[in-house]
Amino acid sequence: MNCRSEVLEVTVEARQVEEAMLALLHTILLHRSSGKFHYKKEGTYSIGTVGTLDIDCDFIDFTFVRVSSEELDRVIRKAVSEFKDALSNSGSDGMGQISLEFYQKKKSRWPFSDECIPWEVWSIKVNVVNLANEQERQICREKVGEKLGEKVINVVEVINRHEYLPKMPTQSEVDNVFDTSLKDVQPYLYKITYQITDSLGTSVSTTMRRLIKDTLAL
Amino acid sequence: MAHFDTEYQRLEASYSDSPPGEENPLMHVPEGAKSQWHHIENLDLFFQRVYNLHQKNGFTCMLLGEIFELVQLLFVVGFTVFLANCVDYDILFANKFVNHTDSSKVTLPDAFLPVDVCSARIRDNAFVIFVLIISGVFWLHRLVKFIYNVCCYWEIRAFYINALKMTMSELPYATWQEVQARIVEIQKEHQICIHKKELTELDIYHRILRFKNYMVAMVNKSLLPVRFRLPGLEESVFYTRGLKYNFELIFFWGPGSLFENEWSLKPEYKRGGNRLELADRLASRILWIGIANLLLCPVILVWQILYAFFSYTEVIKREPGSLGARCWSLYGRCYLRHFNELDHELMSRLSKGYKPASKYMNCFLSPLLTVVAKNVAFFAGSLLAVLIALTIYDEDVLSVEHVLSSITLLGVCITVCRSFIPDKHMVFCPEQLLRVILAHIHYMPDHWQGNAHKYETRDQFSQLFQYKAVFILEELISPVVTPIILIFCLRRKSLEIIDFFRNFTVEVVGVGDTCSFAQMDIRQHGHPAWMSAGKTEASIYQQAEDGKTELSLMHFAITNPQWQPPQETTHFISQLKERVHREAAGASSDTHPLSLSESEPRSLVANLLAGPSTLTSIHFGHDSSLTNQAGLSDGASALRSLSPNSGSLHLRGSLNAAHTSTMSKAMAGSGTDARTVSSGSSAWEGQLTSLVLSEYASTEMSIHALYMHELHKQQSHGELSRHTWHRQDSDESSDSIPDEVRSEPNPRHFPRSHTFPTTVPSPSAIPTSASCMSSTTLGQEGAASNRIGQQGFTNSSSDSFGARGRVVKSARGVPMGGWAEEGQAARRHHETLPEESSEDDMPPHIHKIT
Repeated sequence: MNCRSEVLEVTVEARQVEEAMLALLHTILLHRSSGKFHYKKEGTYSIGTVGTLDIDCDFIDFTFVRVSSEELDRVIRKAVSEFKDALSNSGSDGMGQISLEFYQKKKSRWPFSDECIPWEVWSIKVNVVNLANEQERQICREKVGEKLGEKVINVVEVINRHEYLPKMPTQSEVDNVFDTSLKDVQPYLYKITYQITDSLGTSVSTTMRRLIKDTLAL
Repeated sequence: MAHFDTEYQRLEASYSDSPPGEENPLMHVPEGAKSQWHHIENLDLFFQRVYNLHQKNGFTCMLLGEIFELVQLLFVVGFTVFLANCVDYDILFANKFVNHTDSSKVTLPDAFLPVDVCSARIRDNAFVIFVLIISGVFWLHRLVKFIYNVCCYWEIRAFYINALKMTMSELPYATWQEVQARIVEIQKEHQICIHKKELTELDIYHRILRFKNYMVAMVNKSLLPVRFRLPGLEESVFYTRGLKYNFELIFFWGPGSLFENEWSLKPEYKRGGNRLELADRLASRILWIGIANLLLCPVILVWQILYAFFSYTEVIKREPGSLGARCWSLYGRCYLRHFNELDHELMSRLSKGYKPASKYMNCFLSPLLTVVAKNVAFFAGSLLAVLIALTIYDEDVLSVEHVLSSITLLGVCITVCRSFIPDKHMVFCPEQLLRVILAHIHYMPDHWQGNAHKYETRDQFSQLFQYKAVFILEELISPVVTPIILIFCLRRKSLEIIDFFRNFTVEVVGVGDTCSFAQMDIRQHGHPAWMSAGKTEASIYQQAEDGKTELSLMHFAITNPQWQPPQETTHFISQLKERVHREAAGASSDTHPLSLSESEPRSLVANLLAGPSTLTSIHFGHDSSLTNQAGLSDGASALRSLSPNSGSLHLRGSLNAAHTSTMSKAMAGSGTDARTVSSGSSAWEGQLTSLVLSEYASTEMSIHALYMHELHKQQSHGELSRHTWHRQDSDESSDSIPDEVRSEPNPRHFPRSHTFPTTVPSPSAIPTSASCMSSTTLGQEGAASNRIGQQGFTNSSSDSFGARGRVVKSARGVPMGGWAEEGQAARRHHETLPEESSEDDMPPHIHKIT
């Protein structure tokens, strides 16, 4: 695929899943968001401001920074809690993966629908462990905090590299690159998906789609 | 935050009239997406389409071609059904009389059955309906495919016009290398691939040929069950289109295949942990696909006939040689293909080899058959002559029953017989022919050299170069045989296949998972007997057979002069080029063939180059004492003249004169690096130059291939045959080469091959005369010890092949990969290269590879 992919792996306790995921997703989105664009007549634009917010975690010794946009937070929280529920319902050994995919849209002609072409995918692999007693939980609390700190630095390093980013769009194309539905912040178009380990194989529908596509190909 | 935002907006609105200086620091100018070509999702497909459109000569050609194919299909099916059901043959054969009122003549429409009778006959015939349904589905499939393709290729067309700045009308005359250079160029501007700033030629090739490279590697490592030893018969090869399709279905794209998508292998196949389980799964999948094949057998058969009909017409269009009685078999194409060789490159190579190959096969006409055929032809001919003579005298003879048909039959009979009678002017010199073939096809098993005159060699060669009739027959029985092969042969290999994909897949940034052989890394996959001694670290399992890695590397470097290989590889290439160059230099200074035959065997290649150089110097008016390059280029042009389409040699000769400077530069790419070649002639410069260069490239590759084979042979034979070298000279007359031809090159006034292409087999016209003899000598001595390879060889003739001494050492010093060592089980982190993590995981249990 023509996109970068980064993998982060964390091992946490069940109750820490939500916060850990929020911390990582928000960290990435913080760097992949900008202020709202305001286009001027001459084809130029100015960028609105973005505020940041420190969030303290309850179950982890960790504080992370996120964009101070309640709307964005709500969307992320919803996705993460779905993931958490699915993970706890799966009943198995508790492995899962949540991916944050940045994409851009490409307009196609009539017979095809718009293509969503990802350019960067962050996959966070979660490994849930069960701990026996309170003391271990304390240790885990600190250790997970440290680990998350490392991951955040990792993320920043990756993002600091000079690599492909979609070009800044003109007014008519802004919807193809940025998510403009939020009032106060404008992240790159993104998509959050998750998988629980059992279903890691390719689904039937993708196979069928590929089969049809392949038969059609020259 | 929302609060701030709204405030900003209001401020902005109120200050809209303010002087611009204040606002400017905050203003941005959007770059916009100027082109739609940045960041293409599926680059594999994209490059494949770009290549296809180039090969099909542009959009209009492709469109028209496809439309006509659709119409053709309708016509063929409709016409066949009509002929079978709607024609009253009794009327046509005048067994039944029609009573006409006005005239006694029978007209064509009289023979047609009325519509209602006709449709009733069709309706009653279940088989016809079955065929009609299948061909209907087939046609619809093609129609949908056609519409889909038109949409996709319209986009590619726009890419050519807008991004590559090539119009469709100039596309047929642009080489692929030119197109490729432009793609590399626009990557810098548009970033089609987001992983890297710059694309290399190898990236593009990898993407286009990802799966083909895997297939070539699997055939090379004898992994695919395509060779069979039937009881009572010799080893035979069965590899048909249907089988190939099934292999691809299983490995690459079918449901549950090993690949997740076009560019990546499924992660579980990259880890060795559960290889047994994966092998089981693969085996059961193969079983199911085999059973499905068996059930669908009749459908596939009809489909196959239709498909064969159409792809056959396409093959004829593409490949001029295919009209002859023979063709390169599917297996041959796989066996002879280099890694990273595009279709058109392979095709042109094989087409060039077609003439000598069919000549070689014709050498082996059975004398018994010849005698019979001669006599049958005689009798048939005399009958025919009488009939024709009578007809000329009075054409009423034709109306006598069966006279016309017997004339036709006799004609056919004579034609068939004639194909069994060898050309009167043909001389039996298989060794030379085989060498000329080798110059084009670049690969052959070791034991062929020196055994070219034997029937076994011929039989084995016929596996690569089969009768077209056999080809079609195999295609037809394929639906029945394919499931058997899948169920009984391929299934047994499932574990090896799993191991193969794990061990030989590397993830390349910006390309995805590719076959590691296709990286053409001498260090990883070189074969010590093929000049990479001392450089390779490959275990036997990792070595590519037949010098595939080395030859592919040379081929790729020569066809893509702009490509910048990694450091070691550059070293290898320049070293090899230098050697070939030096050999040529030695040749031009040392023009007396007699002295050559007494010198070291290494000068065989020199001889190969020197022989024609003296000849061509006469022809092209070159001063033979010019420079080394001249000698080499002359050798090259002589070699080129061996190619079947030598009709245009005059043109090329003049080109040669005009471009000697470019040429010599190209040929002398040795000392410096390969890039100097391109510096004089970047693909942008002009079509002529690039075309000329690409033609020379194939010649240069031929020389390199011959040289590498020669060296390989010497390495394998070693000292052993050296002692008997001179003594054997006297026996050479068996090769029907008159001594004086060998000893005095200058007064040769034989017609050269390019003036009279039909006389090519006359030994003098072939530059290999002397080297051919020597190889027979070697062959007679060393046939038994053919594959003693590196071990049997101790440093023999020193000087120019310093590398050879190191061979023995490197054979032992294999790295940890493959099955050389058991369980270095440390499984690495998932993100490491799959090659590394996999190779130590689990040694595959393959013990017999050659």
